Amino acid sequence: MSSAVESFNRIRLIAGNTFLEAVRQKFFNSLLLISIALLASSTFFQQFDFGTSELKFITDFGFGALFFFGSILSITATTQLFFNEIENRTALTMLAKPIYKLEFLAGKFLGAHLLMLCFTVVISVVLAGMLFWRETELMAHLGDEFTGGRLIRYGDVFLFGFLQWMKFGILAAITLFVASFSNTNLYTIVVSFFMLIICQLQYIARDAYSSLEVGIGSWLVQVLGLVFPNFQLFNVGEQLVFGVKSGLSVVTTLQITGYGLVYTVAFILLAQLNFGRREI
Amino acid sequence: MSVEILEHPVVIRARRIVVTLVLLVLLGLVMRPVEAPAWQVVKEGQAELNLDELEGALGQGLVVGVLGGFRTIMADFLWIRMNTIWQRRDRVKLDAMIRLVTTLDPRPEFFWINSSRMVAYDVPNWRIQEEGGYDAVSDARQMELNVEQAEQAFHLLDRAREFHPDNPKLVLETGQIYLNRLKDYSNAADWFLKASEMPNAPYYAARIHAQLLRQQGKDREAYAFLKQLYLDLPDDPYAQKGTVMERIRNLEDELKVPYLMRFQANPLAPGVIPQPSAFQIE
Repeated sequence: MSSAVESFNRIRLIAGNTFLEAVRQKFFNSLLLISIALLASSTFFQQFDFGTSELKFITDFGFGALFFFGSILSITATTQLFFNEIENRTALTMLAKPIYKLEFLAGKFLGAHLLMLCFTVVISVVLAGMLFWRETELMAHLGDEFTGGRLIRYGDVFLFGFLQWMKFGILAAITLFVASFSNTNLYTIVVSFFMLIICQLQYIARDAYSSLEVGIGSWLVQVLGLVFPNFQLFNVGEQLVFGVKSGLSVVTTLQITGYGLVYTVAFILLAQLNFGRREI
Repeated sequence: MSVEILEHPVVIRARRIVVTLVLLVLLGLVMRPVEAPAWQVVKEGQAELNLDELEGALGQGLVVGVLGGFRTIMADFLWIRMNTIWQRRDRVKLDAMIRLVTTLDPRPEFFWINSSRMVAYDVPNWRIQEEGGYDAVSDARQMELNVEQAEQAFHLLDRAREFHPDNPKLVLETGQIYLNRLKDYSNAADWFLKASEMPNAPYYAARIHAQLLRQQGKDREAYAFLKQLYLDLPDDPYAQKGTVMERIRNLEDELKVPYLMRFQANPLAPGVIPQPSAFQIE
């Protein structure tokens, strides 16, 4: 029992230091500022919109920014935080102490994941603020259209943020997995981005081949669908925010969360399989 | 010897890859019962992406657009770009861009309606101009081009209705193309009727259906339709019941309906039977 507590403390220490190191990085701060600036300018971009309502446009735009910049940050920050320790040889000092490689990986992951939590919360708060401001203005101008009260369910903005954060968790774990057998920063980032694209688009291939007769192509796509997690599962923006009641039930939310957690743990354990054998 | 082969770095690496893949496949199988029901719910709420439509688009950096909520803004910017292509009268690119925009964001009806108008009204003009102009191209060839383009527009509107099954504007648009471009009153009348039967249909759809019946010489059918329409219309100024009644009276005159047989808006109300004027009696 005490060894478990000690192990937890070691992971907590590594995660804390990783998080502090990450927050001080210029990359994180610049990306956060760019995302906030882009979100704040969504009313400007609305001029180019055809057909969707202003509030829906801002919501889509905010969700897009969260996913796009969040994915970049998740991959690059995890890669940098991992390789910084290897390149600066601090990993050697750390692993010379009674710290298991799995604890090192878990600490690195949690530090990166905490960073993503900060990013997600800030973007969600800014998006909710933007929506609240525009909705209040629209209510003042078009009172008749809002007879049933506010249109936006602000809790859903944060629910979407939470589910994206779960996805960033899988992405960070996949990045760690790639980093566990890779020797360079660049290789890890490129391969992780490819993995992201495959995970994001695999459902299209699955849908397209589901109607085909059983053959090699169909069989390969089935395997592809099993090997790579389905990131489109977290793309629930269409169901949320607008409407009388939330489009996602508690059961579905729990299923998606569970799916995210299991894949995150699985990829960290797979990373451990490689990293455990690796000479540093 | 066999042990040596098993210890070769390439074999070791291959073994690790196979083990990793097997573990991931097993995990995928274990997680399928959790993923499948959630995916069913999520998929229902997402705009369908058609792989065929995207085939030619992936090379244009659209992976980014497909990847998330930026689909909306991406489609908007592509629409603006499409207008430049439209101004240049490049119909091949126009067709590709229409497919791209409507695939990326099929939600705004604006994209569908305006695209179909470009295809059905503008492109035939360009093609006729390309072949020498309206004076040089025979009427038969002009009609052939009109039909060809209209069919493409109908296909586009058919796809639009898959995404917006309850939108009467898309049905009306098909009717408008039959009416304005093909001068096919029979089909136009059918589509206007179909639109008028949909919820939230504009009141004018039913009136145009009746007018199109008259264009085909089906005055009796138009008369019966307008009488029923008058009874069904609500007492809303936008419903223009007065206009409908005017057309009913006009038809009664043309069909020489006897005065006692003429339509009564409210048979129970006294004094509503139209009285013949002195001139008419004579």
